[in-house]
Amino acid sequence: MRIFINRKEITIFAGARVLDAVRAYSVRSAKRLLNGSLSVFDRFGNPTEPDGRLTDGQILSIRKTK
Amino acid sequence: MKKILLPFILSLSFFIVITQPSFCQKNNGPVEVIILHTNDMHAKIDNMAKLAYLADSLRKTHPYVFLFSAGDNFTGNPVVDMVADKGYPMIDLMNRCGFTLSAMGNHEFDLGQEMFNRRQKQACFPFISCNIDASGAILKQPKPYYILKAGKIRIPVLGIVELGENGLPDSHPSRLGGLKFTDGIEKAKEFTWLKDKYGMLIALTHLGVESDEPLAKAMPQFDVIIGGHSHTTMTTPMMVNGVMIVQTGSGLKNVGKVTLTIENRKITSRKYELIPLASIRNGNPTVQAAIDKYNDNEELNRVIAQAENDFNGENALGGLMTDAITSMLSTDMAFQNTGGIRISSIPQGEVKFKDVYRLDPFGNEVIVFKMNLAEIQSLIGNAFDRGKQVDLIPSGVNYTVVTDKQGLCKSVELSDIKGNPLDPGKEYTVGVNSYIAASYKFNHRDAGTSQYKTTAQTLIDYLAKEKNIRYSGVERTTVKAGE
Repeated sequence: MRIFINRKEITIFAGARVLDAVRAYSVRSAKRLLNGSLSVFDRFGNPTEPDGRLTDGQILSIRKTK
Repeated sequence: MKKILLPFILSLSFFIVITQPSFCQKNNGPVEVIILHTNDMHAKIDNMAKLAYLADSLRKTHPYVFLFSAGDNFTGNPVVDMVADKGYPMIDLMNRCGFTLSAMGNHEFDLGQEMFNRRQKQACFPFISCNIDASGAILKQPKPYYILKAGKIRIPVLGIVELGENGLPDSHPSRLGGLKFTDGIEKAKEFTWLKDKYGMLIALTHLGVESDEPLAKAMPQFDVIIGGHSHTTMTTPMMVNGVMIVQTGSGLKNVGKVTLTIENRKITSRKYELIPLASIRNGNPTVQAAIDKYNDNEELNRVIAQAENDFNGENALGGLMTDAITSMLSTDMAFQNTGGIRISSIPQGEVKFKDVYRLDPFGNEVIVFKMNLAEIQSLIGNAFDRGKQVDLIPSGVNYTVVTDKQGLCKSVELSDIKGNPLDPGKEYTVGVNSYIAASYKFNHRDAGTSQYKTTAQTLIDYLAKEKNIRYSGVERTTVKAGE
């Protein structure tokens, strides 16, 4: 399925979680997500947990944790 | 006697006549209903005592307090998932907290239909979903909706479960035998009569916020959508088409509190608050005692299999992990990265649940790709180049990496376990963990599919099936220095 992270298109396996997509985007970002220095938000601006399941076409953004 | 009683009866009937209108008036006045809700608890039980305390405290001051789960109660904690009565600790604790209702989530199916039926029977609350047809399945048919009773007020709550791209909930298809699923949003439209009849309607969904939004657009009849599945933490509710959408994240870190004011069969006010359970200092002592008992579970010391020799090093342990995938998920081959093998040996003797979680603690799932020979070679070659050494331990195949002068992979020679070369024109099923699937660079036309089963669970199932296992002299890879 296709996921968009910070406007970059990622192709990832069906049934992927947020962390999987971030790993496909950047392994370094995935490590920072796990240590809490980065957070992931959905297209509505809601924070999303790393273990949340994704749906095809979902739009995410990664930002520094405030 | 009659003379004495008659005036008393008359005065009593007068009192009833006088007071009845005021009672009716009172009941037609605003009524406050509190719905505490959480979602995707995934068997994380440690905050249950705080949740129980919060619910109990509210019940002392409010007559109408309800507690909802928007599904995915199970899967994610061995003290719940690995006991003989899989999932029972969660049901027991939810009963103790006084849950009113749960939506069906995709992980409710992880227990298997028969086991889940037993859990449903033990639950003091129903599981609901309007888009599951279990008429041809082992699963007990879930009710589509539930009617909350708050005095004379009736509040219908409709359950909906998510479907993936394959039209099934995100669970391994083998667990869904005989079940039929229909699109949740389309099915929900058949229940607009609930709004007409009761004047209000709540959805308890396990769809994810990406689907809750179009649900709200399609069905403004909903007053509130209490959601789950996407593990979205909402500190403020989303308002879409006049519908309030809420969700609390995952792992029972938070609980949502929806306060409804109801007057003349209508919801006149909706308030929402996200309460981090870390902010609750007290816990219900009885529930805490039950949690402590479950956390101290001896099940993790339960023996799954016997190791007939010491399993030493990455080749033996990686071989064990990948053999579990090829055997339990019937793939042609599987690969395990050495970085994901977290212990150096399993000694001869008893192999326990906790040994598996020490070996493989990450919670990665098994992902299956359909790949041809060239794609498999690119996976092995790119993995080798990450550290100029063998990184992937295989099952189902043996391979040799031929290196160039810089020590990088020049070519990969593969053969099946009998020594026959692989067919370049054939498509093979290849199982890897989700870490490899997401972060390794390799050529693949198939994007892959999660089996919705962790690699650790797959290994546990394999060990339980094999019972006695020997791994010695496992050498499935070689490196040949080229020119």
